[in-house]
Order: sequence, then structure tokens, then C-alpha cells
Amino acid sequence: MAKEMSQEKTTNQILIEQLMQNVGKISGVIEKQGQSIFGQKNLLSNNEINDYSLEFLELLTMLLHAGDKVDRRGPEYKALRQFFGNFSQQIQVRGGNMDEFVRYIHFLQGVFLDNLEADKSVNFVKAREILLLLGMIFNDIILDVFHIYLEGKEKTIQAQQEELRQTSTPITEIWDGVLTLPIIGSLDSSRTMIVMEKLLSRIESDRARVVVIDVTGVMAIDSQVSHHLIQMIRAVGLMGADAILTGIRPEIARALTSLNIDLSSVTTRSKLSEGLKEAFRRMSIEVSRPGR
Amino acid sequence: MIEGMHLTPIGDGNVLLEPGEGLDPSQPEALLAPVLEFLQRNEARRLVYDLKNVRLIDSVYYAWLVKLSAACRIANVEMVTVNMQPAAAYALSLTLDKSPPFTCVLDIHQLR
Repeated sequence: MAKEMSQEKTTNQILIEQLMQNVGKISGVIEKQGQSIFGQKNLLSNNEINDYSLEFLELLTMLLHAGDKVDRRGPEYKALRQFFGNFSQQIQVRGGNMDEFVRYIHFLQGVFLDNLEADKSVNFVKAREILLLLGMIFNDIILDVFHIYLEGKEKTIQAQQEELRQTSTPITEIWDGVLTLPIIGSLDSSRTMIVMEKLLSRIESDRARVVVIDVTGVMAIDSQVSHHLIQMIRAVGLMGADAILTGIRPEIARALTSLNIDLSSVTTRSKLSEGLKEAFRRMSIEVSRPGR
Repeated sequence: MIEGMHLTPIGDGNVLLEPGEGLDPSQPEALLAPVLEFLQRNEARRLVYDLKNVRLIDSVYYAWLVKLSAACRIANVEMVTVNMQPAAAYALSLTLDKSPPFTCVLDIHQLR
């Protein structure tokens, strides 16, 4: 008779029953595992772990109560996914490892599977349905966590790239009216835009008359990079300042020649120091040792 | 008085051209003769074109500048632009494939 009754119950009802009957045991096991994973590294306090465990069980119960079948578009499902999203973000912010978080989610799934195994009244068909349901819920959660983790990483990479761009173009006023711009790395379109924007603004604000662009740190050059360089020099000229290109290494010069890049209209010097001398000469500045 | 611009002799053979809102660069032919007449009347050696209030130099505006500089050269007057704005210089550098036919100077104090 009891067997017949259990057959009529929906998957959700069976899970709710299991949850209600073993709530103390389940929450205890989850909290213990949470403390083992997150407590050891001080990622979460015991109170936080307990709160998270209880909230998870509450949200899961709400989801199962919402209907005979789990609605993946329903607010209860969204709330559960949101909960894990926030949970994983907090772990990430505190320096936690996503591998451990995913293992924790697997463990939660495992707790329900253990309960299912212990319940002998559930037949094979229902057990299979429950297994599929749990698989769907926890897989969605893992995917969400994975996406949040990836988004976080992408944001970090973008922020680092931006910081690198900002710091890799140190424009310095080395003398009144003389700016130096050492370029390190490669020049792509987006970087050229940033460098040019900064350089032209500095020419205007510092009333610079000469700009020494040093490319000693440019490891390789192609037609696009050389085009960007010429563009930059032309923009400097349009502002009314003179541009001097320094630090063209032999291999870069060879590459420019093979690319048929014409730098005849550009003032070039071998080293930054030579470029500075030329800048001083153009500004009629004489630098000499005292006593000479 | 030429429509869309203000011309002022500033001494030493220099004439300052300040373009105004009413300047129509798409009609250079209508503007060239009166400008050259003013330059010759004032015995100008150099036309200083102030780009301080020109936010963007597009192909039409650039063509006007090129025509004006060519006309000045014929009249033995050097054309110099001053105060080109960073954004305008940046945008213009993207479209140019050679240096402009006129001299560019940062500001009026740096005229040699």
C-alpha cells in the first residue's frame, strides 16, 4: 500500500518528503562539509556557512513546492541560481578557488543522492526522474558559477590591460617644451588611439615644441605598426610640434625597408640621447658642463 | 568685412584669420579673392589661421585650408595654422597620407 502511494507521488513531493524527514541530518552534513572547504581557508565564518546552508535548503524547498514539475523559468529557480551566483562571487572576492566551490556543489548533489539511495520505497522510475532533476538543477548551478567566474576573470584581464596601457605610455616633459614618449611593446590601433590622445593633449597643455618618440622597446614592426607611427608623427606635426623618432634597432630598420615604408620625411636619430640633443638644438638650447 | 571670418593685422607683416560660425568652407572660391585682397592691401607676409575654435577638420574644411594656402603662396604670403585642437589633429592625421602644404605651429607665440 505504502509502495503504491509513493508511486503516485511526484518527483518533487518525494524530494520534499526526504528533505523534511532528514533536514537536520542534511543541514548538518552540508555545514560540516562547508566548514571543511571554506572554513579552513577562512573564506567564510561558521555563521556564514550555516546561514548559506539553511538558505540553500529553504530555496530548494520553495522550488520543489512551486509546482509538480520544476519550472526553469520560474522565480523560485531564478532565486536558487541567483543565490549560488552571489555565493560564488563572495568566495571569489575573498580569494577562493572555483574548483573547491564546484566540488562543494557536487557534494550537495551527493547528499541528496545518498538520501535517495537510502529510501527503499522509491522505485526505479522515480529514482531515475529524481536523478535527472537533481542533475539538471546542479548542472545549471555549476554552469552559472562557471559563467560568473569567467566574467570575473575577463573583467580582471580587461582592467589589467587598461592599467598596462596607461602605464606603458609614460609621457614625460624632460625639458621645458620637450616631451619624451618611450613606446614599449607593440602598437595596435586601440593603443595608438590612447597614446595619440594622451600625447596630443600633453602637447597642448605643456606647450611642447618637440616630441621625442623612442621605439627602443618595440620588438617587432609590421606595416600596421609603422603606419600608426607615421600617423602619430603627422598628428604631432599638425599640432605644431616637431617629432623625432629614436631607437630604431637594425632589425626594425631592415623590416621597415622591406616593407617599403618611407620615413624620409621623419627626423630619426639612433638613440634617445641623440634625439634629445636634436630637440635642444632645434630649441636653441645649449647644454654644457660648468667651467667650459 | 568678409562673411564668416575676422581678419586682423597683428604687426610685423602678420595677419590673423579667425574663422567664425558663418564660415562656409564648401565655397572656397567666394572667399579666396576677398582674403587675398585684404592681405595685399595690408602688405602681409604671413597669414596666421587660428584653429582654436575649429573642433573638427573634415575633408571639406581641409580642402578649404589647402586652397587658401595655395592662393597665399601665389601671392607670396606664407600660411601658418595655429592652435589646432588635439581632437582635430588626431582626426585629420587619420585621413592624411602626406604632410599638409602649410606650416602648423602650436600657438601664435611660437611664430618664428
